[in-house]
Amino acid sequence: MSLAPGDHLRRSFLYRELAALDALFDEVNGHAAAMTCGGDTAQEIARARSLGLCDLSALRRVGYKGWNTAAWLAAQGASMGAESNRAYAQADGTRIARLAPGEALLLGTLHGGGALIDQLGAAWSMAHADGCFQVPREDVSCWLSVSGEHAAAMFAKLCGVDLRPAKFPLHAIAQTSVARLNAIVIRRDVGETLAYDLLTDIASAVYLWRALLDAMAEFDGAPVGLAAIRGLAGPQPSEG
Amino acid sequence: MKIINCPLNGPRNAQEFVHGGEVVAHPDPHRCSDAEWADFVFMEENRAGVVREWWCHVATAYWFIAERDTVKDEFLRTYDPSELFRDRVEFTRPDPPPDPDPPLDPDPPLDPDPPLDKEA
Amino acid sequence: MPNRMPEPAGLLLDRSETVEFSFEGRTYAGYKGDTVASALLANGVGVLSRSFKYHRPRGPLTMCGQDSNTLVQIGHVPNRLADQTTVAPGMTVRAQNYWGSLENDRLALLGLLHRFMPVGFYYKAFHKPRALWPLWEKVIRRLTGLGTIAPDAPHGYFDKAYLFPDVLVVGGGPAGLAAAIQAADAGGEVLLVDENRALGGALNYARFDADGALADQRKAMLLRELQARPNIQVMSDTLCNGWYADNWLALVRGNRLYKVRARALVLATGSYEQPLIFHNNDLPGVMLGSAVQRLIKLYGVRPGSRAVVATANSDGYGVALDLAQAGVEVACIVDLRADPPADELTAAAARRHLPVLVGATVWEAEPEGRNMGVRAARIARITGEGTCAASADSFACDLIAMSVGYTPAAPLVYQARGRVRYDEESAMFALAELPAHIFAAGSLSGAFNLDAALEEGYRAGWQAAGDAGFGFGPEPACVNPKDAVGRTHPWPIFRHPKGKDFVDFDEDLQVHDLENALTEGYEHIELLKRFTTNGMGPSQGRHASVPAVRLVSKATGAAMDETGNTTSRPPVGQVKIGHLAGRAFEPVRYTAMHFRHLELGAKMMPAGLWLRPEYYGAAPTRSEAIRAEVKSVRENVGLIDVSTLGGLEVRGPDAAEFMNRMYTFAYLKQPVARARYVMMVDIGGVIVDDGIACRWHDDHFYVTATTSGADAVYRTMLWYNAQWRLNVDVTNVTAAYAAVNIAGPQSRAVLEPLCEGVDLSKEAFPYMGVREGHVAGIPALFLRVGFVGELGYEVHVPASYGEALWDALMAAGQSHGMRPFGVEAQRLLRLEKGHIIVSQDTDGLTTPHEADMAWAIAGKKPFYVGMRSVSLQAEGRLTRKLVGFEITDRAAPQPKECHLVIRGDEITGRVTSVAFSEALEKVIGLAYVASDQADEGSTIEIKVDGGERVPAAVVKLPFYDPDGARQEM
Repeated sequence: MSLAPGDHLRRSFLYRELAALDALFDEVNGHAAAMTCGGDTAQEIARARSLGLCDLSALRRVGYKGWNTAAWLAAQGASMGAESNRAYAQADGTRIARLAPGEALLLGTLHGGGALIDQLGAAWSMAHADGCFQVPREDVSCWLSVSGEHAAAMFAKLCGVDLRPAKFPLHAIAQTSVARLNAIVIRRDVGETLAYDLLTDIASAVYLWRALLDAMAEFDGAPVGLAAIRGLAGPQPSEG
Repeated sequence: MKIINCPLNGPRNAQEFVHGGEVVAHPDPHRCSDAEWADFVFMEENRAGVVREWWCHVATAYWFIAERDTVKDEFLRTYDPSELFRDRVEFTRPDPPPDPDPPLDPDPPLDPDPPLDKEA
Repeated sequence: MPNRMPEPAGLLLDRSETVEFSFEGRTYAGYKGDTVASALLANGVGVLSRSFKYHRPRGPLTMCGQDSNTLVQIGHVPNRLADQTTVAPGMTVRAQNYWGSLENDRLALLGLLHRFMPVGFYYKAFHKPRALWPLWEKVIRRLTGLGTIAPDAPHGYFDKAYLFPDVLVVGGGPAGLAAAIQAADAGGEVLLVDENRALGGALNYARFDADGALADQRKAMLLRELQARPNIQVMSDTLCNGWYADNWLALVRGNRLYKVRARALVLATGSYEQPLIFHNNDLPGVMLGSAVQRLIKLYGVRPGSRAVVATANSDGYGVALDLAQAGVEVACIVDLRADPPADELTAAAARRHLPVLVGATVWEAEPEGRNMGVRAARIARITGEGTCAASADSFACDLIAMSVGYTPAAPLVYQARGRVRYDEESAMFALAELPAHIFAAGSLSGAFNLDAALEEGYRAGWQAAGDAGFGFGPEPACVNPKDAVGRTHPWPIFRHPKGKDFVDFDEDLQVHDLENALTEGYEHIELLKRFTTNGMGPSQGRHASVPAVRLVSKATGAAMDETGNTTSRPPVGQVKIGHLAGRAFEPVRYTAMHFRHLELGAKMMPAGLWLRPEYYGAAPTRSEAIRAEVKSVRENVGLIDVSTLGGLEVRGPDAAEFMNRMYTFAYLKQPVARARYVMMVDIGGVIVDDGIACRWHDDHFYVTATTSGADAVYRTMLWYNAQWRLNVDVTNVTAAYAAVNIAGPQSRAVLEPLCEGVDLSKEAFPYMGVREGHVAGIPALFLRVGFVGELGYEVHVPASYGEALWDALMAAGQSHGMRPFGVEAQRLLRLEKGHIIVSQDTDGLTTPHEADMAWAIAGKKPFYVGMRSVSLQAEGRLTRKLVGFEITDRAAPQPKECHLVIRGDEITGRVTSVAFSEALEKVIGLAYVASDQADEGSTIEIKVDGGERVPAAVVKLPFYDPDGARQEM
């Protein structure tokens, strides 16, 4: 049975676009998140392998910025490498995207988890802030996923940075313009499938969604639900 | 379209940036002459040759400095402002008033009726 | 198709499919693969257009899109190149630029008036009488322009895409193919583009050897090699339309514009064959030798039945051989060279007994009918540079082919700031210097010999790959001579006493036109170009530039190299506005409550990139709706979405110091849990933004900014702190908070029941306070601020809760009759309180003193941005002031924003805001006036539409509730 986004206090800016596709919604982090977008999960996984667009707005995320961010994160047990514009995987599945020497963006898991995010949230307060300040990324930015073998070709219609997998390695970050919006693009393959996180100004979410669908049409790309992206990860490999 | 090598993001299309004017030393507003102040506000050197100028990468709001040959239109170097600006800048007046933050802005009900919640 | 050759002629044809199309109302048949021009010529139609000025009949000149004689209208699209556009079933083709019919163009009469229309005549005619200008304009508008635009034409879908090859090769002829192959072998990605449908360039039509087999052999080999390399991407039918900085190039293909960023670039664009200039050289039936070969080889079309070939090189003999082989009688080969060297092709021509006259030229072409074709060529002996013997022999023919020389196809070289110089030995312009990361090969760089072109191609490809970071193997050698010398005649210009010896076909410029301009003193090549318009037509000087340089050089005595050539700028060829403009990306920002506004019937309006409700209701009820919304706020309660306002978090030990420096007011001692006005000026002391600052903590300010100024304020703050190095962080959270303002005497009553953790009473939460709490379970910030002048609360929540907040408040307000209100109502409400809106009531020069905002300046603090300028302003004399005014006469017309304040004959100011206030029952507004008009009680005059001057009285602000009691309750 599908939940109704309108019954929840927290709502993705895209819920109407998704509802119009006959999406089926389920609870994730206080949101009603679209699990499928009008197809069944198997179909949508196949589409996600070719070219799929998914609204990840329900997933956990938070930012920290200030001159002392790297040291503060390290003191909390989070490990962020020294190179900017790179994402660093953490033990609990969270990734820390280092946007600048003094700015980190933490992205939670596809299953709505974010143990490290919770831990840091509990540790941080304005009263004890020392050169490191929290950024409410769940409301500053919308979060989309573009996945599939045609993803880079689609981005070439919207973005002047070469995002092809041979030139843009896993965990690389490009902070640039996508469809004339300031955007953060992070390569984050899921399983064997090429995929990118795309974060932009939350108020432009509907505009961006429509611009992406228009660019995807050439490749038969279309929206997919969260279940499809989770499905790309497949069962955990037992070896390697 | 020119490529600018952003110190934070690497080489990018010039369209991703906004030019921020020449790098100039700001005169001390309390001690400079009127002519020096007017020169600072209204005049640019506009040199034909190597200039030092500010650029902002719009997507990250990251400011940096570039050295560019305006005759050849070639960027020679780009670097973080911390290379030039290392120390905290302080402002002092030659005639410090007894209380630099006098209660000229007291709390209500003496607060004048300021317009708020601006819209443009 | 009378002129169609039998199979297998016609490389580009698919004879299995016949295509019917119409031209000028008549139906013709061609084959799939024909261009409009080749199909028409196959059907014996040689006239495709009328020339620009004299309306002379014109036919194909180049057969490859390099001339403009074949611009036609196809369906609703004007200016299509008939020699590049393939026929499609049902295509409707019309000629352009005639009055009456293509065959009987009444405007050809203009040709008779040529003596009254010398070059540049329009600069001198039409000056007087001035009264006739409207008439001339009408006439000229009707006569000029090519083609018609259909306003109801269907919109096409155009878009753009990026490509990022390591090496881009422009030109798919022998040199380009070789370059692509060699570059690909080094690794990396190669993109090869060619503007034609089929790769091969000259290999598709030219004759390099006696039996004409060499071209096909070489082409087959190159294409095989190309296909064997998967890292070469080929795009044919793709025009490279411009070079821009750092090897960024524009490619046009179909409806898409490709934006290419290449590490290294190989230019193999070939060269433009040049015409011979003689009397009537523009007649249909006079064409380039390469055009003849294209018609024969690519389209299987016999260009005529009896031909004269004028040549100054070996290639013309190849043309003659191709003609003979195609069944066209070669009446004569006219070689301009007195002593042409013997080679394979001349020997083959001799073996076929083709008549040859040396040291002679075509002096005149005799027209067929009214210049509709060629009847004969009159050939005369050359006596000197541009001169011929008095007597000329007539040779009957219907085709004159010209093979007298070349110039490199160098637009991209010029655009890339490469240097070109004139080479006396070959009598051609040649590449002198290429910028870094750019390489050239083939006839573009003077390699006309096929083997030399291939060698150069391999070498350029190797160099480009190395430059792009893929070094591989030894550099390919170039041993074959380029053979550029002896291909181009140094003076293919034969001025004729009767004129019609065209230098520029697009602009109908004859030799004497250029010479007259030179006589008038336009001796600089750039001046000559602009004065005569030589080279400024659609062909962009491909055929007209070089002869002009020759004429200038001769007239001034300067060497060709000293005279120089004019440059080239993008686009190289045609481009549609659609390519440049579409797929336009126009971001728009919605608040979290956007769709609720639509559901409530709001009329939305843009505010920067955002959309906001202007008012709620249908258009005919606009003023009613706004009036009701205003009334609701004043007397009851209203709700407005204010999410679009900018929001910045300023945090850290230096937060207050930073605020003190960025804004004019004082912040060090601002108490926590209170709000304070902020005003920002620039270094010139001009107001640039305002808002409020809420202090949540000693080290934490939350500052609002105007909707359109937020991004600039953020960037400016970061710029200053990059230099000040204060211990402060600024974060832009504009879109992260959805916000509403609930305002009106009942606002507390509506809000209170929904709140937790915050006491809304006047005692606990006075005016200008800020608090944190929850509304309907949603974490919220409360700001008690008074823009509209009534009791009210601004409630900020995280954006993802915005819609839920709106729903909760609208539900709670229902029993109170709460109305949503929009920007227009808010504007009126704030005007009644005399509040300024930055960039509506302030302009690019407004200072705090002019706007009566000096109260917001803390003049004693150590520093704020613009402090010195503001002090200087305070010392100086004010020339204008922003004041409040009222018009109590209900019968007077209401002024509009930007209506001028006039005193006598002098403009002393303008209205910035104005509205009828129902609460006050009069028209109120803000206006700039002269400082001596600014005193309370002065009368000013405002000039309204129609010229009437309406008197208004200057009054004190605010207009409504001067004590502020209503907002502080």
